Amino acid sequence: MPKSPSKLADELAELPPSAIALSIRDDTYFDAIRGVVDRFATKKDLNTIYISAAIPSQSIIDVLKILEIDMERIYFVDSVSHTMMGSTKKPENVLLVESSTMLENIMLKVEYLLKKSEGKGSVILLDSINALAIHNSSTILSEFVHILINNLRAKNAYIVLFSIEGFGSEEINNMMGFVCDLTLDMSEEGR
Amino acid sequence: MPPDDEGAEVDDLERARCPTGIEGLDNILNGGIPRGNTILFTGSCGTGKTTLSLEFLVHGALAGENCLFVSVTEASEKLMRNVIPYDFFDENLIKKGKLVFVDMPVIYRRLGMTAMELTLEDVETLVKALGDLVDELSIKRLVIDSVTSVCYRLKTEEKIRNFILKVGKTLSDRGCTSLLISEISPSAERYSLYGVEEAIADGIVLMGNLERRGDLLRTLQVVKMRGTNHSRAKYVLDLTPAGILLVPLLKGGSGGGT
Ligand SMILES: Nc1ncnc2c1ncn2[C@@H]1O[C@H](COP(=O)(O)OP(=O)(O)OP(=O)(O)O)[C@@H](O)[C@H]1O
Ligand SMILES: [Mg+2]
Repeated sequence: MPKSPSKLADELAELPPSAIALSIRDDTYFDAIRGVVDRFATKKDLNTIYISAAIPSQSIIDVLKILEIDMERIYFVDSVSHTMMGSTKKPENVLLVESSTMLENIMLKVEYLLKKSEGKGSVILLDSINALAIHNSSTILSEFVHILINNLRAKNAYIVLFSIEGFGSEEINNMMGFVCDLTLDMSEEGR
Repeated sequence: MPPDDEGAEVDDLERARCPTGIEGLDNILNGGIPRGNTILFTGSCGTGKTTLSLEFLVHGALAGENCLFVSVTEASEKLMRNVIPYDFFDENLIKKGKLVFVDMPVIYRRLGMTAMELTLEDVETLVKALGDLVDELSIKRLVIDSVTSVCYRLKTEEKIRNFILKVGKTLSDRGCTSLLISEISPSAERYSLYGVEEAIADGIVLMGNLERRGDLLRTLQVVKMRGTNHSRAKYVLDLTPAGILLVPLLKGGSGGGT
C-alpha cells in the first residue's frame, strides 16, 4: 500500500537533517511531492528548494495550486524550462538553469537561495536523479550529488532525492546507497 | 589573552588575514588574503574581475576599513551604474568616505603626465602619489582596475617591473592589501600581458570562461598565494545580488576540458 504524504512527513520529521533517497513511482509521485514540500516543510517550518529537472517548474506549480498548497516558501531551480520560459513570464520564485548539464549552476542557484533564506531551515528536493542521469555521465553525476550533499550537510539542511523505481542504473543505485544517509520507499507503508 | 611572545609565534605561523568577504574564496584561501599582499587578478574580458574586486572593497568598507578603487579603464561614475545592485551595499559607505573611487586619468593630469609614454621618473612620481593617497585616507584595501592599462603607458619591461615592484612595496609597507586587475586574452599562455606582473605579485588568481559541451561557465582558480596554503582547484562562479558564489568545478573523470 502506498505511503500517505503525512506518513512520509512523519518519517522525515523523525530524522535529523540528512540526505534521503526516496524511491517513487508514477502513482506515488504527487503524494511524495506533497509529503515533502507541504506536510514535512510545514511541520518543520522549513523553506523548500525544489530542483526540477524532470518536469517544468510551471507544471509543478500548477499542481500545487490545485492541491491548494501555500507556495510562499517554495523556490524552484528549474533546469528544463530555459528554452520555453521567457524571463517576462517567469514567476519570481523560479530560478532557471540553462540546461541539466550545468550541474554546477544548479548548485550555485541552490547556494544562492540558501544564502537568501539565511537563518531559516531548508529542505532541498531533487526531482529526480534519473532525469539528471539522462543528460550526465554517472561519474559527473556522482560527483555532483556528493558535493551537493556535503554542502547541505554543512548547512544543516535536509535533502530528499527522488529516485524512480526500476529506472536507475546499477551504478546510480549504488552511488545513491553510498552517499545518502538512508533510503525510503513511497510504495510500502511499513518497513 | 595569551602572553606576548606566544602571540608573536602565532603571527609567524599564520599571517593575519584580510577576509575577502566572499565566502567561497575565503574558504579556498583558508581565511582570506594574507594582509599586505599584492594580488594579481587576471582574466579575459567579462570574467568578473571588476565585480569581484568591488565586492572585496564593499566587504572591507562594511567591516570598517577604508577602501580605494582606482579606476583606469572606465570612469568610475559609469562603472557605478553598471555594478550589480548588491543586497549588502550601503550608499553611506561612499558618503562617509569608507569607499573611495579615484579615476587614474585625474591623477595623471594632476601630476602633469600628458605624454603617452611615462618615464622611469614618472613611475616614481606615480607610485609616490598612490602611497600618499593611501596614507592620507588610511586605506587598508586597494584595487587598481586595470594595471594592464597603466602598463600600456610604461611600454618597457624595465619600467613595468619597476612599477609593480614599487607599488607592491609601497602598499604592503602601509599594511594595505591590494588587488591589481590584469587583462589577458583568452588564449594567453601566461597570467599577465607582459609576463612581468605575474612573477612579482604575491598571489595570482585566474578568472576565465570554460566551455564544456557547449555550456559556458565562469571559473576562478587561485594559482599562487604567498603566505598561506590554498586549494589550486578550479571553481565555477556566479555573480549574484547576494555576492559572488563559488562551487567546485565538476571533473566528471574527463578533466572538464572543452
Ligand atoms: N548589474 C548586473 N547584473 C547582473 N550581472 C551583471 C551586472 N553587471 C555585470 N554583470 C555580469 O558581469 C559580467 C562582467 O563582469 P565584470 O565587468 O566584473 O568583468 P570584467 O572581468 O571586469 O570585464 P572587463 O574585462 O570587460 O573589464 C557581465 O558580463 C555580466 O554578465
Ligand atoms: Mg572590468
